[in-house]
Amino acid sequence: MPLLRPRSALRWSLVGLLVLLLAALPSLVGRLPAADADRSAADLRAAVLASGDVAFSGYAQSAGGLTLPLTDTFTGIADLFSDRATMRTWYRSAQDWRTDVVTATGETGTHRDATGTWTWQYEDDEATRARVFPLSLPIAPDLLPSDLGRRLLSQAADDELTRTGAERIAGRDALGLRLVPADVASSVSHVDLWVDAATGVTLRVEVFGGDASAVGVVTGEPALSTGFLDVDFTEPAASVTAFTPPPGADVETDEGLPVLDGGRTPDQSPLPAELAGLPRQDVEGVERSVGVYGRGITQLVVVPIPGRFADRLRGQLDVAPGAVLDDLGVRLSAGPLGLMIATGPRGATYLLAGTVTSETLASVAGQLPTTGGRG
Amino acid sequence: MIAVELVKLFRRPRTWVTIALLNALPVLVAVLLALTDLGPRPGEGPAFLSAVLTNGNLYPLAALAIVLPLFLPIAVAVVAGDSVAGEAQGGTLRYLLARPAGRTRLLVAKLVAAFVFVLVAVVVVAAVGYVTGSVLFGVAPTGTTTFSGTTLSSQQIVVRTLLAIGYVTFSMLGVAAFALFFSTLTDSPLGATLGALAVLITSSLLFTLDAASSIAPYLPTRYWLSYVDLFRDPILWRDIVRGVGLQAVYLVVLLGASWANFTTKDVTS
Amino acid sequence: MTGALTTTGTPGAAPPVRRSATTVIGTSNLRKRYGAVHAVDGIDLDVRAGDVYGFLGANGSGKTTTVRMLLGLVLATEGEIELLGEPMPRAGRRVLPRVGALIENPAHYGHLSGRVNLTLLDAAGPGGDRRTRADRVSAVLEQVGLGAVGRRPVKAYSLGMRQRLGLAGALLRRPELLVLDEPTNGLDPQGIHEIRDLLLELNRTGTTVFLSSHLLAEVEQLCTRVGVLDRGRLVLQDELATLTAPTGATLVQTPRPDLVHRVLGGRVLRVDGERVVVHGADPAEVNAALVGAGVPVTGLELERPSLEEVVLAAASSSADRVDGAAGRGAGR
Repeated sequence: MPLLRPRSALRWSLVGLLVLLLAALPSLVGRLPAADADRSAADLRAAVLASGDVAFSGYAQSAGGLTLPLTDTFTGIADLFSDRATMRTWYRSAQDWRTDVVTATGETGTHRDATGTWTWQYEDDEATRARVFPLSLPIAPDLLPSDLGRRLLSQAADDELTRTGAERIAGRDALGLRLVPADVASSVSHVDLWVDAATGVTLRVEVFGGDASAVGVVTGEPALSTGFLDVDFTEPAASVTAFTPPPGADVETDEGLPVLDGGRTPDQSPLPAELAGLPRQDVEGVERSVGVYGRGITQLVVVPIPGRFADRLRGQLDVAPGAVLDDLGVRLSAGPLGLMIATGPRGATYLLAGTVTSETLASVAGQLPTTGGRG
Repeated sequence: MIAVELVKLFRRPRTWVTIALLNALPVLVAVLLALTDLGPRPGEGPAFLSAVLTNGNLYPLAALAIVLPLFLPIAVAVVAGDSVAGEAQGGTLRYLLARPAGRTRLLVAKLVAAFVFVLVAVVVVAAVGYVTGSVLFGVAPTGTTTFSGTTLSSQQIVVRTLLAIGYVTFSMLGVAAFALFFSTLTDSPLGATLGALAVLITSSLLFTLDAASSIAPYLPTRYWLSYVDLFRDPILWRDIVRGVGLQAVYLVVLLGASWANFTTKDVTS
Repeated sequence: MTGALTTTGTPGAAPPVRRSATTVIGTSNLRKRYGAVHAVDGIDLDVRAGDVYGFLGANGSGKTTTVRMLLGLVLATEGEIELLGEPMPRAGRRVLPRVGALIENPAHYGHLSGRVNLTLLDAAGPGGDRRTRADRVSAVLEQVGLGAVGRRPVKAYSLGMRQRLGLAGALLRRPELLVLDEPTNGLDPQGIHEIRDLLLELNRTGTTVFLSSHLLAEVEQLCTRVGVLDRGRLVLQDELATLTAPTGATLVQTPRPDLVHRVLGGRVLRVDGERVVVHGADPAEVNAALVGAGVPVTGLELERPSLEEVVLAAASSSADRVDGAAGRGAGR
């Protein structure tokens, strides 16, 4: 190797300088300080709850570390909580919005209007019309920080909330808010929210939780994190959120999930008003056979399910790593999410799902009505 | 000088063989699709491929999606990797420099020639894709559906296809810059080509790795496929803008390094 | 090829190139180091206008590195170069169009014809008038004997034809200076003769020729000045006529060397078989003395050293040998 001549050295250092400059630029921009504001946790919570009519559009990503062992049924949910989802959203009001889950080869768009939703799946060339169900399986748009933040804080008590500094998110000053659920049954240890100081829209949500034994828990890492990367608070055009099925597409109608539709399940003994200390909620429109228990972030859904369906689910849960099998059934904790197929003495089967600990699931299973059901 | 390089490039049989081979795969895929009428399952296979069965209009884009991950970068790396190292290996580099074709000028001419090749290759792939698509699948009379379920007029689809061609071309310039840089380092065109491909394979591999997610936004292949975002409605510019910016940074840095190396090195080939 | 070349300021800094009004190639303390190896070790070339300069040296003596430094391909570690009165490589863009070069083997684009190759080469740099290009290419192809070669691609050419095409490339712009590295490589005797005539003809019309070669005979027949490179050092540089000037002795060819010795006594310098070297630069006088004494003389001439003898005396040994310190990388 010849020694570097001065001219050569000069040119290379020029290039080196350029590289340094370009490499340093993003981190310099990222270090712009965030302005904190002197606002109380209760005040911030009120701002979040009042943000439902703030129009905006944004680009968000959610990442779940929850590996649900569902390979056969409910794969959509399993993907939702274990995968990275990229979403675009345009929000005009609670009854007029659109959220697209974008993938490399297509997208799935959900368009909300006054009477229901259109779901457009590009790769299937299929548009599905659905009315608004009071209770349904979570879909990707439910993971938008704006939506999730409002939902998480709606039933939180002020003494569960503390302030946690400020951060720059999507180019905006976001104020931190930490929710530590008071309920012992809760499997969530805490939730960190960052709220846009100017509008009250939640810009990022990180859910921490699950005991160390739960599947997919990495200490110090959120079990679920979702946040905006871009956000723009100008009102999107109505034409963007509207949807008309394109010519040639399949148009379907969604009748809701049969599992959650009590009308199709056999007669059951009514569920009690309280299970393992969790009060039953009165959710309008939900069949009487389905029980929604808990408060705020601590939620448990109890659904009687037909035996055939239960067997399929059991088959998957039984072989999942970390699953607990006992007389009560099979249960599993994936991060803060608990899942259980509980079997009553006469073959009545229930699906329990929620943000509760494994012990809570066990004690709920012990208190389920033992009669009824063909199984 | 630039004209000289273009003559050299396009009078070379290998250039056209490369372009022809590049088109072989999309045409084969189109024929198979037309014969079997079996599209890929949702979420699998290259973008647009499931949609072309009903609308041949999209085949230029499907063809690009087919060649983009591997064949197009290989073709670009072969041509750009050959640019300086090929002259060195053939011995013509010393005659060019003694002519004298100034080193910076020669480098610029090589660069422009590589860029023109990229553009020609991408345009030919799209054009062959268009012909194949309209012959084998026909053009849907109702217009073209975007990812978002809206309908594009034929004028809109032309504009967006042109934008996509421009974006893919620009993405490939990054490959060309890598290959050109390696081409100034070595006298072996094969070495330069393989060097550039090694970078791309490393980049593609790291991109799939969660552990490397912190450096993912800086990987040269990160935004290659973002041109599909042009077919959302409204267009999702975010990744496209980032892709252009990232490629521009790679271009500037690598061309700077190529220049610093080539203008100060001893030509002993 | 811009920017300063020299990196002086250290001990042994190059003095300015000593040049007369007629210097065409001048170097001063030109050095090239590859790591610890001194490929070219401080040479001062002086090639004058009108010279046919023979640059001699064994393989690996640094000839090619020197030629490449003259043309700006290899950048010198130290020292200065002037080509046609301008500094190299700084003024390469002005100077090199006036220089024709054949560097080691000729090299062309095999898939193109000779004509296209020359056209592209001419178009690749400054100083080649676009309007006269086609005519110049035709003329120069004619000149090197490739006028009728047609549109065949170069890859179908014989080695000799490629050599001619390489020479044609060097002659394309009627250069004032030709730098040729082994120009008769691969040519048959007829071809070598043709090229030699061509070079002499060009030289007569004012072209300076710098001919790097390891073929002593070729240089001896063509050149007017000679430089000898040995292990990176210029050990000899002079007019060929001076180097091979009469030594002041007379060479006597005789079947009876003993008789010569008896007649001329102490004037006999050496006896080598039937050749006797006698002191005295007047063959007529020697002849008269010997014939007068009845010594049979079959041949008589002034003694001149051959170029081979001069070179061998100046250069120590073949640089292909790797003797200790000569080390790796000497073969440049």
